[in-house]
Amino acid sequence: MLDIKNLNASIEGKKILKNFNLNIKPGEVHAIMGPNGSGKSTLANVLSGRKGYEIEGTVYYEGKNLLEIPIEERAQKGIFLAFQYPIEIPGVNTNNFLKTSLNTIRKFRGLKELDSLDFLKLVKEKSKKLKIEEKILSRQLNVGFSGGEKKKNEILQMSILEPKLVILDETDSGLDIDALRIVSEGVNSLRDKNRSFLIITHYQRLLNYIKPDFVHVLVNGKIVKTGFSDLAQELEKDGYEGVSIAK
Amino acid sequence: MNLKFEEFQKSNLGLKELDNIRIKSFKKFEIQGFPTKKQEHWKYTDLKNIITNNFQNLQIFNGSKNLVYNNKLIIKNFEHNKIILLNGSFIESSFIYEDEKKIIIKSLKSILENKNDFNKIKEYFDDDQNSMLSLNHALTNDGVVLDIENNYSFNKPLVVYNFFDKTAENKIINNKIFISLGDKSNLCMIDFYRCENNIKYFNNTIHNYTIKKNATLKKYNINDSLDNSYNYNSVKIKSYSNSVFENFLLSLGPNLIKNEIHCNLLENYSSCFINGIMLLDGSQHHELKTNVNHKYENCKSSQLIKSVLLDKSNGTYQGKIYVDKKAQKTNGYQLSKALILSENSAFNSKPELEIYADDVKCSHGSTTGNIDENSIFYLMSRGLTKDQANKMIVEGFLNEVIETITDPNVKILISSLFNERINKVNV
Repeated sequence: MLDIKNLNASIEGKKILKNFNLNIKPGEVHAIMGPNGSGKSTLANVLSGRKGYEIEGTVYYEGKNLLEIPIEERAQKGIFLAFQYPIEIPGVNTNNFLKTSLNTIRKFRGLKELDSLDFLKLVKEKSKKLKIEEKILSRQLNVGFSGGEKKKNEILQMSILEPKLVILDETDSGLDIDALRIVSEGVNSLRDKNRSFLIITHYQRLLNYIKPDFVHVLVNGKIVKTGFSDLAQELEKDGYEGVSIAK
Repeated sequence: MNLKFEEFQKSNLGLKELDNIRIKSFKKFEIQGFPTKKQEHWKYTDLKNIITNNFQNLQIFNGSKNLVYNNKLIIKNFEHNKIILLNGSFIESSFIYEDEKKIIIKSLKSILENKNDFNKIKEYFDDDQNSMLSLNHALTNDGVVLDIENNYSFNKPLVVYNFFDKTAENKIINNKIFISLGDKSNLCMIDFYRCENNIKYFNNTIHNYTIKKNATLKKYNINDSLDNSYNYNSVKIKSYSNSVFENFLLSLGPNLIKNEIHCNLLENYSSCFINGIMLLDGSQHHELKTNVNHKYENCKSSQLIKSVLLDKSNGTYQGKIYVDKKAQKTNGYQLSKALILSENSAFNSKPELEIYADDVKCSHGSTTGNIDENSIFYLMSRGLTKDQANKMIVEGFLNEVIETITDPNVKILISSLFNERINKVNV
């Protein structure tokens, strides 16, 4: 699904990712944990196509060179980034935005576009399943949303767009327990043998709810340790420094 | 430029007093000429220059025999009362949704022919704040005078159709609209402009509104077409206690439009709300100049203007809040936001506060910039193309102002006209 080899990324001359390697197979859930400034968000940004980075190395997504694919096509081809800080866009109705997004993606996949009625039915079904209040969708996109509402909105978008590869960029930060549960259940309900997840997080607590297949520790732009889900608990106990020194 | 005033004057002889006003006013205009950027209030709209560049042979419009308008231009699927003006002249009106006994409507032409009637509006011919007003006084020969009695609320909106046909080509048309709303009366009114062919003309209209105690006037300017027209509108409002004036301006269509709104809050607890959007492309030039005068205590005013500029277009908002020393407890607010989407477009914003009272709450703000890159990235990361993302952001940016429209049916109408327009614009 995703194959990253010797990825180097710098911004304004500052090297952030250094010879980063990662391979994600269909159906796998990978967690990347790391301290502040280790390059977690840069990884998410590079994968989703944000401008401003100088990039070396290769990233293959479903056998194609991801770095050459324009931002919107990455989304159309099934990559979904849940933002750490979802952007507020005044005046844009969340429902309209999401319908446009879904239909652009459906069109790309050769599916019939949904009319307003079918779309609203789908939204109702998904939001009920995720226990997310539908009414946030009639508001302006992320405007005046609480931190929790913004993240829930990202998860609802994810479940409606049905991506193949989901990147969660610190989706757990700033969430209370209830919101954390909703977010995790959203992710868990979408897990299947063809869909992969890359969960970027600072804290171990999200991984109490979502059991990853692999946990990687990112320090200073490099993966310094890879293990199974119990590695997260170890980190919680010993901290990132413990892991780095052990290496 | 050679406006043949004498010819016009001779064929419009009438009340002696009016004849004298015409001659006096035209003299004033001749001395000053069309306004230029040297005048403070015309700094951003050099009318003389614009007229010289766009009209080789501008002539005075002197009425037309044609009284037939194109029925197809009437707004469909929208229940409303009508006043129809063709080339500035009153053609007909219908108030089928109203109690017609409560409404007095006369053509300005008939008023100008009757000494008693004329005496009632004569004072409005004294205003010589700028040469366009003087020109209007000299050349006006028709328009509308509408009086709504006390305690009458309109059931449906009133659309004032301003139609233009080919007899207006290369002409300058001058008319006046008077509206007076009695105590506790309510009117929702739309100024709607259409012309059949893309003809070029200059329209110079003076509006005078009186809003009596506890009355509400909601006014919507719909300028979404008339691509080749040039317009100056001066609106003066007298607001009495507890009255409300709400104005929304949809400024999309004409080549040139300068809207000037002077709202005088004369008594306790009167309020004035002016909101609007500009979406300009090509070489369009639009200006909104507002003067909200707080002349008494406890009055409120608010203005929100959003503009989007493409190509070589030029937009201006000059908003002034004046607070008299008597006007304690004033609440005044204005905000202008503009998105400049082309290197060759420009937006001028000149907020002004002039405050002589010491217990007031007044604020103003103005921002001009580009579309936020993070917003574009967010939308594109959900599969939208850059064009789709830009359009969605621009639409949202302007929609926020449309959302402030308080009449639900008018909001639907304006939204649909706005959508038609934005789908044609290449953002």
